[in-house]
Amino acid sequence: MIHKVLVANRGEIALRVIRACHELGLKTVAVHSQADAEALHVRFADESVCIGPPPATASYLNIAALISAAEITGADAVHPGYGFLAENAEFAEVCERCGLTFVGPQAEMMRLMGDKVRARRTMSEAGVPVLPGSGVVDTEQEIGAAAALIGYPLIIKAVAGGGGRGMKIVDGPGSLLRSWSTARGEAKAAFGNPSVYLERYVERPRHIEIQVIADGQGHVAHLGDRECSIQRRHQKLLEEAPSVALTTAAREALGRIATDAVRAIGYTSAGTLEFLMDTRDGRCYFMEMNTRIQVEHPVTEMVTGIDLMQEQLRIAGGSALSLSQADVQIRGHAIECRINAEDPRSHAPSPGRITALHLPGGFGVRVDSALYSGYTVPPHYDSLIAKLVVHAPTRREAIARMQRVLSEFVVEGICTNRDLFQRILAFEDFAAGRLDTAFLERMERAAASAAEEPSR
Amino acid sequence: MAAKEPPRAMAGARRAKPRGDASDKPSDAYGMNEIRRLAKLLDRYDLSELEVEHLGQRIRLRRERPAGGASNVALVPTTPPLATPQTAGTAPRPEPDGTTLITSPFVGTFYRAPTPEGTPFVEAGQTARKGQVLCIVEAMKLMNEIEADTDCRILDVLVKNGDPVEFGQPLFKITLA
Repeated sequence: MIHKVLVANRGEIALRVIRACHELGLKTVAVHSQADAEALHVRFADESVCIGPPPATASYLNIAALISAAEITGADAVHPGYGFLAENAEFAEVCERCGLTFVGPQAEMMRLMGDKVRARRTMSEAGVPVLPGSGVVDTEQEIGAAAALIGYPLIIKAVAGGGGRGMKIVDGPGSLLRSWSTARGEAKAAFGNPSVYLERYVERPRHIEIQVIADGQGHVAHLGDRECSIQRRHQKLLEEAPSVALTTAAREALGRIATDAVRAIGYTSAGTLEFLMDTRDGRCYFMEMNTRIQVEHPVTEMVTGIDLMQEQLRIAGGSALSLSQADVQIRGHAIECRINAEDPRSHAPSPGRITALHLPGGFGVRVDSALYSGYTVPPHYDSLIAKLVVHAPTRREAIARMQRVLSEFVVEGICTNRDLFQRILAFEDFAAGRLDTAFLERMERAAASAAEEPSR
Repeated sequence: MAAKEPPRAMAGARRAKPRGDASDKPSDAYGMNEIRRLAKLLDRYDLSELEVEHLGQRIRLRRERPAGGASNVALVPTTPPLATPQTAGTAPRPEPDGTTLITSPFVGTFYRAPTPEGTPFVEAGQTARKGQVLCIVEAMKLMNEIEADTDCRILDVLVKNGDPVEFGQPLFKITLA
């Protein structure tokens, strides 16, 4: 059992955790940096502790301050949210050593999935399809032999990477060695570990992921899929559930592969298996596993009616999964738009004071946000300020609902990417379900050529 | 490919805010020359971040330092107003009434004496020398001694022995001696 949860995060996800806790009758402790003293998660938690100055390294990433905050408030559990320390195995271990329940998977699972070569091998052994690839390639001989086996184009990835960082695409043998040494240099600089491996490169894939949840007592379920193909520089912008690219049978098959693998490795808590889908043949290949609750979890909650956050908290408290696979039914369609405080053209962050705010509402609408009128978006952290989520019986109706929601979303004083979503939803490829990771480029090209047309 | 998840670590915690020395060129308010000059300062003193405010304009230079990697200088123009409290943890905080507050540099538990039965390090009304231990803040079973930054007179002890304190919480009210 857990009674008081320290939320080691900020913004909308901290609020999301606090809401789930209060509905479960759990007490909450918010932590905050000096820049977040006026933040909503601080206001809505039962208690709050200032843990450091604005820079995240000194506050939200400061393990000693977080543990001390738990000690002085008598918290018995820690929820890390996403980002910050959510996938930091050391933090999970320190929590457990200090007698705090870490709401998330076991530390060794984070270590396993943080090592992309081990993760690939482990998942492959557990029956999950992976792309042809190599182990760690440390010498020129190794890379030549591995590349010959895999074929071109191929992609060089950092073993310690993930999240789309530290990757190099190689079109042919001519640029292989150069790309390899550049990739090693970048991996060393970004992750402190130069190790890289090779994988066959899939051009313009769809990004599809399976949500799983396991209680560590033998109960495992998947909660269907999410499609997250619409990205800019590997940053997801719009997610939906379910994907139009999967038939019911294909979804069930992928879900079964995911649950079998999760059971085989003994994973506990909520997690996500990310897959690349080759749009030419519809085959899915394991990419990585995220060992945390994700930003886009609400779309899954909307179509399944299952509160993932509460389920994750209950499991951490020692309860068995409250549902079985048969209870999971996908109903209707859900879409999420990530509203960022950013300049719509340069995509540079746009911090500042919110002078006026209207959050949309109405039937089938959910807004996860920690904004309020008069709030100042600090410049120190991520630019995500609101998640607009809609649910409707069909995809077509969900699109219409999201268009209505976007038109009602008003925020003044800062810039946001709201209009980008209007354009995405209005683009014919979106309605047709022709999604892949090059969707945005295609849309911008179409817009550019349409703008030229009248002058001809 | 993971989601856009909140912030990766920002640059190091060290920060410097030169007050006087940025204002020696009032006419050249943040042209390229000024930025170059600030970038050199950043480099020369090996700072992670530099923020200067002058005539209502503010500029912040920050460099991200990946583990062990080369550093690069990022220019981040910030638009006022950014209502961020800028009090540093231990730096004595001057108050409008001429007194100064000593604030806690850690989250933890406040102790006035070295042992449970011991005499307090300081009492209100006493003077303290620079470097003298004023109290202990326990964080993660570590006893962190908090010292006076400067010679001072203790006017008030603001926290009870054994009470929890948060980062930046005032512990003592002092006047500078």
